[in-house]
Amino acid sequence: MSAATIAVEVFLGIAVLNTWLSCIAIIVMPNFYQRIHYLSNVTAISAFSILLAVVIEEGWGQATVKTILTCVVLLLINAIVTHATARAARVRTLGHWSSDPHEQIPGTRGRGDTEAERQRKENE
Amino acid sequence: MNTWLIAATALVFAMAPCGIACFRGTPIDRMVGLEMAGILTSLILLLLAQGFGNPNFYDLGLTMSLLAFGGGLVFVRFLERWL
Repeated sequence: MSAATIAVEVFLGIAVLNTWLSCIAIIVMPNFYQRIHYLSNVTAISAFSILLAVVIEEGWGQATVKTILTCVVLLLINAIVTHATARAARVRTLGHWSSDPHEQIPGTRGRGDTEAERQRKENE
Repeated sequence: MNTWLIAATALVFAMAPCGIACFRGTPIDRMVGLEMAGILTSLILLLLAQGFGNPNFYDLGLTMSLLAFGGGLVFVRFLERWL
């Protein structure tokens, strides 16, 4: 078994393992905004692991060019779709997209609050 | 059966959690499962193209990634505005 074959198998193993973990994460994570993070995990790590495996196996050729194109398209497009999905979820929850300086986001101390306001809220 | 086809088969089984995600929660929660399934389909088609040794099949993965983008965006806009 050559070093190239081992490298291909390692990269494919990384891709499969990472994809499986991300797929399990989207049903385990409690919050919608936590789930959508795992979409980019697959397009960034799994897709580029497969790309590296193809490059090692095929060298420079038609297959490599098309795989690069697919991975770049997936990476760019996923960012747009993830943003649109998060925006849709926010609009469905709040009725608008624009930010509110006094908005209380669960799990945070609130955007735009000054240190004095934060102290006052903690004392209350 | 070579390594590429084994990896493709493993990724096909990863569709099961996406299916579960599509059956749970609110409509916008289910979108995550649908988007993940689209990405997985593109990767599976890439692996199958390499596994069968036909470079022409790579176009399927590329086409799938573009169609998943269009479909996902239309669904999301629909969920945002009307549903």
